[in-house]
Amino acid sequence: MDFNALILFMVFSAVLSYLVSKSNIKLGAYSTILFSLISLIILFLGRNNIGNEFSLLYMNFRVTAIGWYFSLIMILIYSMTAFFNPYWMEKILYPSSYNFLYLFSLAATVGLFFAADLITLFIFWEVVVWSSTFIVPLGKSRKAAVVYFTISSIGSMATLFAIMFVYSKSGTFDINEAFKFLASEPLTATFVFFTFITAGLTKIGIFPFHIWLPLAHGNAPHTFSPVLSGGLVKMGAFIAYLSVGILPAYKAFSTSMTIMGIPFQIYLLMVLGAISIVVGTLMAIKQDDVKKLIAYSSVANGGYILIGILMMDQVTFAGSLMHIFNHAIASAAAFLTIAAIAHRTKTTKISELGGMIHKMPVSYVVYLISIISLAGIPPMGGFVSKWLIVQGLASKGLIFIAFAAFFGSIGSFLYVFRPLAGLFLGQLAPKYENIKPSTLVMKIPMVILASMSVFFGIFPKYLLETIGEIQTSIGIDPIMINGDTITTINGVLNTNKVAAIFGFGFVISLMIFLVLPKSRKVGLMDTYTSAEFIYTPELYHYANSFYAPFERLYKNHPSVEKFLGKFAVKTEELGILVNSLFFSHKPSVTVLWVMAIATLIFLGGVDI
Amino acid sequence: MTNPVLLIVVPLLLAFLSVALKNNKKQLLFIAAVFNVVGVFIIENGSYVIGGFRAPYGINLNLDAYSHLAVLVINILFLLIITMSNEKTKEFSTVLLVALAGLNGMLLTGDLFNLFVFLEIVSITGYILSTESKKYKYSFNYLILGTIGSGLYLFGLIILYAIFGSLNMADISFKMLSYDTGKLVVPIFLMFIGLAVEAKLIPFNGWVRGVYGNANSLIGSLFASVYAGTILFVFGRVFGQVLVLSEYLVAVFVAIGVITLIAGEVAAFSKNKIREILLFSSIAQSGLVALLFVTGLIFPTVLQLLNNIITKAVMFTIAGKISDDADTDEADKLKGIFANNKIIGVSFTVSALSLIGLPLFYGFYSKINLLLGLFSKINYFVAAFILLATIIEGAYFIRLLVKLWTPGEEGKESNIKFVTDRKVEFDFNKKVIAFMLSLIILLAGISPSLVKTNLFAMNKLLNEENPSYMFELKGGM
Amino acid sequence: MIQYVSIVLMLIGIYGLLIDRNIIKIIVALNIFEVGLNIFIVSVGFVSGGVAPILTSVNSNSALIYVDPLPQALVLTSIVIGLGTTALALAIARKMYNAYNSLDLDEIGGMDND
Repeated sequence: MDFNALILFMVFSAVLSYLVSKSNIKLGAYSTILFSLISLIILFLGRNNIGNEFSLLYMNFRVTAIGWYFSLIMILIYSMTAFFNPYWMEKILYPSSYNFLYLFSLAATVGLFFAADLITLFIFWEVVVWSSTFIVPLGKSRKAAVVYFTISSIGSMATLFAIMFVYSKSGTFDINEAFKFLASEPLTATFVFFTFITAGLTKIGIFPFHIWLPLAHGNAPHTFSPVLSGGLVKMGAFIAYLSVGILPAYKAFSTSMTIMGIPFQIYLLMVLGAISIVVGTLMAIKQDDVKKLIAYSSVANGGYILIGILMMDQVTFAGSLMHIFNHAIASAAAFLTIAAIAHRTKTTKISELGGMIHKMPVSYVVYLISIISLAGIPPMGGFVSKWLIVQGLASKGLIFIAFAAFFGSIGSFLYVFRPLAGLFLGQLAPKYENIKPSTLVMKIPMVILASMSVFFGIFPKYLLETIGEIQTSIGIDPIMINGDTITTINGVLNTNKVAAIFGFGFVISLMIFLVLPKSRKVGLMDTYTSAEFIYTPELYHYANSFYAPFERLYKNHPSVEKFLGKFAVKTEELGILVNSLFFSHKPSVTVLWVMAIATLIFLGGVDI
Repeated sequence: MTNPVLLIVVPLLLAFLSVALKNNKKQLLFIAAVFNVVGVFIIENGSYVIGGFRAPYGINLNLDAYSHLAVLVINILFLLIITMSNEKTKEFSTVLLVALAGLNGMLLTGDLFNLFVFLEIVSITGYILSTESKKYKYSFNYLILGTIGSGLYLFGLIILYAIFGSLNMADISFKMLSYDTGKLVVPIFLMFIGLAVEAKLIPFNGWVRGVYGNANSLIGSLFASVYAGTILFVFGRVFGQVLVLSEYLVAVFVAIGVITLIAGEVAAFSKNKIREILLFSSIAQSGLVALLFVTGLIFPTVLQLLNNIITKAVMFTIAGKISDDADTDEADKLKGIFANNKIIGVSFTVSALSLIGLPLFYGFYSKINLLLGLFSKINYFVAAFILLATIIEGAYFIRLLVKLWTPGEEGKESNIKFVTDRKVEFDFNKKVIAFMLSLIILLAGISPSLVKTNLFAMNKLLNEENPSYMFELKGGM
Repeated sequence: MIQYVSIVLMLIGIYGLLIDRNIIKIIVALNIFEVGLNIFIVSVGFVSGGVAPILTSVNSNSALIYVDPLPQALVLTSIVIGLGTTALALAIARKMYNAYNSLDLDEIGGMDND
């Protein structure tokens, strides 16, 4: 099917689901599942559309390989998350508008990835921002929506300035043509590069724009957080790709000063990405709320993705694209398990939960697989992508950034283990004795996403071949893959062998577990403390202050949030000052101003 | 029926009649508004002489593409506003009729002194309308400042008359082309002060907060959309097309415009009451439009002006009605009020998003056009300031919208139980017209070509190189 | 010469607006400003050696030097406008007195300044 109709179909499906929800909200939620699945199938089967161009009103579209790849990931995440929608319909204040905005923002992201000119790109970008801004406050925080929108605006306005500037110099809005003139003007190219990529930076959540991620992802409705973290953040990666791939950044900066072989403009952004990795990891380690924790891990992973895209070479770029996919499905699966738990227990705080493995074993396995993938441990998909990125960094000699990447990997062991131990392992609190496991409809997407993580970890060739085609279409050498062996300059990775080793290790541990005698299980409350019985299971939860010694190391860290908060307060105070200076209620103040300004102007302008 | 003077005379006549026929005042007002709207579609462009003396010895009315569009929009908005709030028009019908006559006069006239007279008429009706809120201190402030401003305008005008010997717009424009305008700083700036007081530019706008902040739904929307629109159209005419400005003056006016824009947005950011947020946004938009007219862009500026006045008509009506019924317009006390007034909420949201300039709404189309215009004039700093102002505008409007739609404490999910106790009841007129206007905003945003080709006056404005008829008059005086 | 007087009058009016707190005094200052403005307008039309621009039995030749009549017409309009505004201002002042029982702008309450 041609993609002309796809975007229109998605917009109409949004309106349709709104109308259906007006009569029956559960039916409306099911319709979102249906429509997003249909869109997924159409997009997947329509791969031969690559290269087509079409237009709608005044907006022009072009189907590119990389656009197809990004849209596929986006619709996948949206459709899997949609399975959870029916269970949240009673909790949300405006269920029909939620369904409408859900599908509408999906349609807008697809439009964004297929945009052929800069104005269309910007239109869909802003539409996604405002349609998701109205879903966020339906959750736990109103402030989150305002912060999300404001930081996003900062990025959007900078990008709009860059777009208008490029148009005024090159005369066209077409994405492929508009930036070409920059190849020979390094100074202008630097300016356009930094302003254009700002929208991408704010969307991915790169330091110092990262503060909206924990607020928005942490407080959005549980069925929308997976979409925000797994899906929408990747739009920023697309803009980052445009700034380095379409804008001839490397050619334009070929005469600039280079740091470790990379032009300093790009290196600067890679440093910001590295700082995001470190900040995201450290902040994630000390979180008690699981959703905020995973949001900070999205900040860290966003840093990886940005670094890889900026490199634009054979290995790191492929690793980045693969990481986009892996992070999307792993992060979405993690958020979905949290949503499943929250659906039953009404809370997402680690200190209040524990022992969920007894009641929700499937969720446990899904979560385990996802965090293994997020941390970059074999045999899951996340390992392959992180391996590629680190290989590429090391082979180019970028020591400090590679160090940050390593730090992120190791730190991620810490923060992924905390919710696992805190939520699932340990003792089940008495008040949760009677909760039921997650429903079948909820299990479907979780199992699908987890199996994808495993599958693409063992057989990455299906992904990497597509990525190779994308790389050729852009003009970089494709990643060398032969069967299941990936070859890079520094090393060779055969994922089948890695998976086999892990499988072997798993079997050995299983046999040891079955053979040796089991430990005796003791109930949480079955303990004796100096002649007193205990009545409060919460205090004995070992997940309280889980990493206290480590957290004490960086307790008094400088915080971007506090800085920006003070900035907002200063703006308000400036507003109050303006008020008192100019807007009093006596005519004399204004007349004084009139006379003062008039005198100044006359003195300045009259030729004596 | 093709002489536009009827647009001025008929409301005036009906105003005098309404003093005699006290019981039918509302109907007379309605008849006059409808007549004006119908009349706009049948008048033809051209220069019409009043009083038998040819211009420049007498006064003429100037109907070109620019003023035709202005008259069209202002009359239609006037009709829509008095229909939306028609329960409030009874005591002020006479004043509103005179105001309608004066507004049309301001837009149609081709003579600067005639402009002064109509400006005074419109201002006096403004002073009277502002007394509705019973807060006389603010009306008094407005009166004093308005009179001083008009006085200074007259002062500057007389100096111009003394130099050029004519009061006719086209004539003065023609004569100024061959004069060293560096010497004209004093009179032009005095005239600027006169118009700036009414146009709400800093630092001449001390009266705005008291008057707009206490206006009810009829008067608030009239001030913010009809009056503001008229004065800005006049501003564009006088400073964009008639007077030839020296570079020094252009720099000064642009600076005042930018300061108004930023100060207005920042002041709005610090406010909590809906009407105050809206009025500061109006101030900022006036600054923006004024500075754009001075830099020489006509078509994009008119688009932005239309964006401002249509959205403000909707938003001030809603805000005024809310404050009437709920006794307050503090956003913190009105959380979740749109949950029970969904149509009004959607209209308000669409207007706010269009004002910020988000795509799929009309405001985006006008913003892109004005940015294109600014970049083609290599005016990067002004563009940067406009984008900065948009960021601040987005922040406070989204904050307001989120408060009004989704109530709730921080940390708890938004729920129907957090909706405020105060109830607001919107009548049918308001719902229908507000919704219709927001549909127009949406349609114009999705498909601006609909607006461009269908609105005939827009078409002429776009196609003509010099949309101002006065340029033609200059040749054949 | 007369123009300097008119400018001084305008400045006196504005000075009065700047420092007066009594409403009636503000209105008086406004009127002084307008008087100064009107005198200035008339003075612009003056032509030295000219006579009043009316055809009478004495000055019946239309080729004589006449003072410019246009500013005189403008002044008539301006005076009337000033009259209307003053009347309105006094009405508002009366209403303020009824509401607050004082004519001093500082004592009258209203919305707090910020």
